[in-house]
Amino acid sequence: MKAFQQNLQKLEAADTQVLGVSMDSPFANKAFADSISVTFPLLSDWGGDITRQYGVYLDKYKAPRRINFLIGKDGKILEEQLDDSAIDPTKIVDACERKKLNR
Amino acid sequence: MKRKPVLTVLGVWLVVAVMLSPLLSQQLRAAKNQPAPMKLKVGDQAPDFKLQYFDGNDLKDVSLSQYRGKKNVVLAFYIFAFTGG
Repeated sequence: MKAFQQNLQKLEAADTQVLGVSMDSPFANKAFADSISVTFPLLSDWGGDITRQYGVYLDKYKAPRRINFLIGKDGKILEEQLDDSAIDPTKIVDACERKKLNR
Repeated sequence: MKRKPVLTVLGVWLVVAVMLSPLLSQQLRAAKNQPAPMKLKVGDQAPDFKLQYFDGNDLKDVSLSQYRGKKNVVLAFYIFAFTGG
């Protein structure tokens, strides 16, 4: 999440809203956001319904996998990054900026 | 011809075993904790959702559909609060 915060200006400039999602409570997520100085919303999927709907629930953790989805303005998925590769947002930033140029 | 029922039982057993083997291999894969292939693929429609976050004063609703036609959305699932990544 920190890496997204560092790239937030670039992403916002490319018309992109960043949303974190976990199965923690909204209050735990707020404390987490404050502790790492994240200013975008960290959403609470308490119970995991959305996590399961997106197919990213892992039994092993009883929690979501570390996954980024880039969703376009039309609601379609443009990019997916799984696990370790999801930590570095460079590809997402590039994709957003590319999209902006192509418009 | 006394052995025929034995052969029939053996045959049925074999058919059942063959039918069950894909199920078994699926279970073995799950046991090794290999994540299944992604349910949603690039190009698929992202399911709409409505979730909440706490902004310090109130719980705020956020839905995917509110960004439709306005912004791209990065949905970053993470395992737990207070972990790296």
